[in-house]
Amino acid sequence: MVIQFLLLLAVAASLFYFVRQQHGVRLQAGKRLAFVAFLLFAAYAVVRPDDITAIAHWVGVGRGADLVLYATVVAFVFVVINFYLRTREMERRITDLARAVALRDAEILNQHRLPHPPAAGEGADTALLAAVVAEGKS
Amino acid sequence: MHDAPADAHVPDNKDVWLVIPVYNEAQVIADVVEHARQTFPNIVCVDDGSRDGSAAAIAPTGAHLVQHPINMGQGAALETGLRYALNRPGAEYFVTFDADGQHRVEDALRMLEVARSGQADVVLGSRFLESRETVPWLKRFVLKTVVALSPTARKLKLTDAHNGLRVLNRPAAEGLRIRMNGMAHASEIVGKLARSNWRVAEIPVTILYTDYSRAKGQSLVNGVNILFELSLRHRGV
Repeated sequence: MVIQFLLLLAVAASLFYFVRQQHGVRLQAGKRLAFVAFLLFAAYAVVRPDDITAIAHWVGVGRGADLVLYATVVAFVFVVINFYLRTREMERRITDLARAVALRDAEILNQHRLPHPPAAGEGADTALLAAVVAEGKS
Repeated sequence: MHDAPADAHVPDNKDVWLVIPVYNEAQVIADVVEHARQTFPNIVCVDDGSRDGSAAAIAPTGAHLVQHPINMGQGAALETGLRYALNRPGAEYFVTFDADGQHRVEDALRMLEVARSGQADVVLGSRFLESRETVPWLKRFVLKTVVALSPTARKLKLTDAHNGLRVLNRPAAEGLRIRMNGMAHASEIVGKLARSNWRVAEIPVTILYTDYSRAKGQSLVNGVNILFELSLRHRGV
């Protein structure tokens, strides 16, 4: 049946998308086009339910509503993966940011707190500056 | 916990930095730090957004204090501590140490000796090399399972993938970038070691399972979380 082929294709595409390391401009555009296509499909299904039923019969699904449901499940999976990836990326950035803040504050705090400051001596300020700059680069 | 006089033949350990990730350990952290400081003058505590005043408990001690503005997990705290310590002049060896007092300073010293001798770049503590002490059996079972399921731990022939006591020399500490913020960092570290050229040694250590650490320590439920985090990491993302 055609629908089985289509659904398997969707699963394979999600897997490929999930495993793929880089998300370039082209993929971004593809995602947006897919989103627009999904919206158009949904609108069409509302306006002409009989046509959707005809398509459903053609791909081997009983009712048009079932076909819409399948499409929604596929879209949902994509959205979840997308959010997951985005959340991870955001978490990574927050970690870098919070670490940079923590290290910068610590340099100042510990120089005041401890009897033997971490970068004591003549070049204390230079060393502090170098450390902060180095952390910013990494 | 009584140390043998640590300064007898050992160098003064000025080139050693103890990295202690701290999360809600206000009760014990000051004692742990003061005890360890009798042997190791350089300690950095990373307060991982504790809500119980751990930072205030660390403040009067002689340890350096780094405060995460938000809670990010033990892996993130370790990484921050290592970055901080790497920026300190003269730092050559880095010891990761738990805040709840379950690690012994003597063990860290023995591991350090191995690292100083140049036999290994990374020295890991293991609870299981000698079965002389009492790891609770359920914990033993779970930890053994984690090792058995981890291909990298098997490759390095490690007996204990989740021991928090480690000694790294400078190149290893610089090369190690912990990206798993949560508890999966231990397996992540082992994985990186397996893929690197660093020489890894394992030394038997004793874990002091006090009532406090037992109550606080990684719950077994956490094992599920660790496996989940790791399995997703392998999906390449």
